[in-house]
Amino acid sequence: MSELLEQIATCIERGKVNANSPYPPDMKGQEGADELVKKAVDEGVAPEDILNEALIKGMGAIGKKFSANQVFVPDVLMAAKSMQAAMAHLRPFFESGQAKHKGTFVIGTVQGDLHDIGKNLVAMVMEGGGFKVVDLGVDVAPEKFVEAVKANPDACVGLSALLTTTMVNMEKTVAQIKETSPDTKVVVGGAPLTQEFADKIGADSYSPDPQGALDYLTSAVS
Amino acid sequence: MTSNERIANILKRQPVDRIGLFEHFWPDTHRKWVADGHLREGVSFEDHFGYDLQNCWAFNMVADLDFEPEVVEETDETVLIRDGNGALLRRHKQHDATPEHVDFLVKDRAGWEMHIKPHLTPDRRRINFDGYRAVRNDAQAKQRFFCWGGVNVFELMHPVCGHEYMLMGMALDPDWVKEMVMTYAQLTVDLMEILFADEGLPDGIWFYEDMGFKNRPFMSPDMYREIIQPGHLLTMNYAKSKGLPVILHSCGYVEPLVPGFIESGIDCLQVIEVKAGMDLIQLYKDYGDRLSFMGGIDVRTLYSNDRDTIRQELCAKIPTVKEGFGYVLHSDHSIPVQVDYESYRYFVDFGMEIGHY
Repeated sequence: MSELLEQIATCIERGKVNANSPYPPDMKGQEGADELVKKAVDEGVAPEDILNEALIKGMGAIGKKFSANQVFVPDVLMAAKSMQAAMAHLRPFFESGQAKHKGTFVIGTVQGDLHDIGKNLVAMVMEGGGFKVVDLGVDVAPEKFVEAVKANPDACVGLSALLTTTMVNMEKTVAQIKETSPDTKVVVGGAPLTQEFADKIGADSYSPDPQGALDYLTSAVS
Repeated sequence: MTSNERIANILKRQPVDRIGLFEHFWPDTHRKWVADGHLREGVSFEDHFGYDLQNCWAFNMVADLDFEPEVVEETDETVLIRDGNGALLRRHKQHDATPEHVDFLVKDRAGWEMHIKPHLTPDRRRINFDGYRAVRNDAQAKQRFFCWGGVNVFELMHPVCGHEYMLMGMALDPDWVKEMVMTYAQLTVDLMEILFADEGLPDGIWFYEDMGFKNRPFMSPDMYREIIQPGHLLTMNYAKSKGLPVILHSCGYVEPLVPGFIESGIDCLQVIEVKAGMDLIQLYKDYGDRLSFMGGIDVRTLYSNDRDTIRQELCAKIPTVKEGFGYVLHSDHSIPVQVDYESYRYFVDFGMEIGHY
């Protein structure tokens, strides 16, 4: 079993989606995350073991390499694509309650800002890290974040902004979330942000990369 | 020394009387400063502040020139439009921002070959001859350095397939992305040939090419060299064949790509975005003998609207980077509406004061 989970973790980290995928070139023709996770499920491996010991491990490895500038966005996108192929086999177990996520993560780009690449990368890494992701999209009003937190009371929240002109809307969003739900953890990120700004607006954490947000929230929910 | 002579020398890192001066603004800023009475309606920033450069975007690179943009959905704040690249984009109506990428007809090689490639011909309708002529004449009359301005291959590909499909394509099907790169590079050169033959050469070429984001470029240096650089070499070698220097703009953190940019033939790197992790002083130390710079002044110091903060930022950088004669004063992105006119005026005046030789 552990060998199969190791193989799956490698497929996630390397972005090997399925047997037909030509990427990465040195794994051409080999089975990918899609086939191997199906095999694990068929063999009766617990979905939470597949999630924790293969998917989270593989995404964690690529996330750390991304933080260290050892891999780049195309590599993370391919890892996320292979993780999504794997999750398709596990989703029914999470939906039926047979398996549980680490927690729920509500994410969106703040009001006035239509950028989504950074937000999407964080959402992919969080899902790969074992969180159920509620993606509110872009240009999200503070009230929508508040509604999402009411609907998911134990959720953590991630706020993204790319523009200096829209990061001011983060402050309003954090204030409204904290006013209605003071214990909700809020992490913020985006090009113009700094730790100093995050502290000023009352966010619980700032991370310059997706892995930092995952590490913080994994520790916060454990 | 005229502005034209000054910038020509700065791009070669040869002696000048002062550092250069140029800037980009968010359109909201112009509207506000006009409304506040600081700028007269119809007066350009170039004329008002005495910039040394002037650009003209002369090419329409949308794939299907005959496609009428189609409004798919509209609210009070946003409008969702299908454009001639087959892209579904949501734009903000209230303020200026990059549009949200909602969907694309092109997600892979097949989509590219079906929807885009057949349209990419050097059609004269792609060229704004009148606009180019007018700006070129204006710049010549005012002795400014005149640049043909436009985007290069990286910025031409993502409007048809989005960043995610493009970047995944670089991993999954690099030959497809290379084909897009070379198709757009050749089209750019073909259109330049037509324009320059009819209207005359500019003084330089300015390529906009956002290749980074916070703390990292979109791709590895190896991927840049394998996939993107052939297009940069084609377009920049063409510029060099006409004796034209090349200024390359990139937002985001692109420091790891700079050696590749130099191999491709750039003369000046702009805009050196501090908040994304770029460090003007370090770049100057590492590459100042081979490269000129424009920008790198943290725009956040400007919208502090605090003169001491602005002065400190300028004093921390200008005396060093002016040493090699290869620097043009510019913020590290664009001036947003939060910057008071008086703060920007101070930035220019003090920057020029300490930027004299």
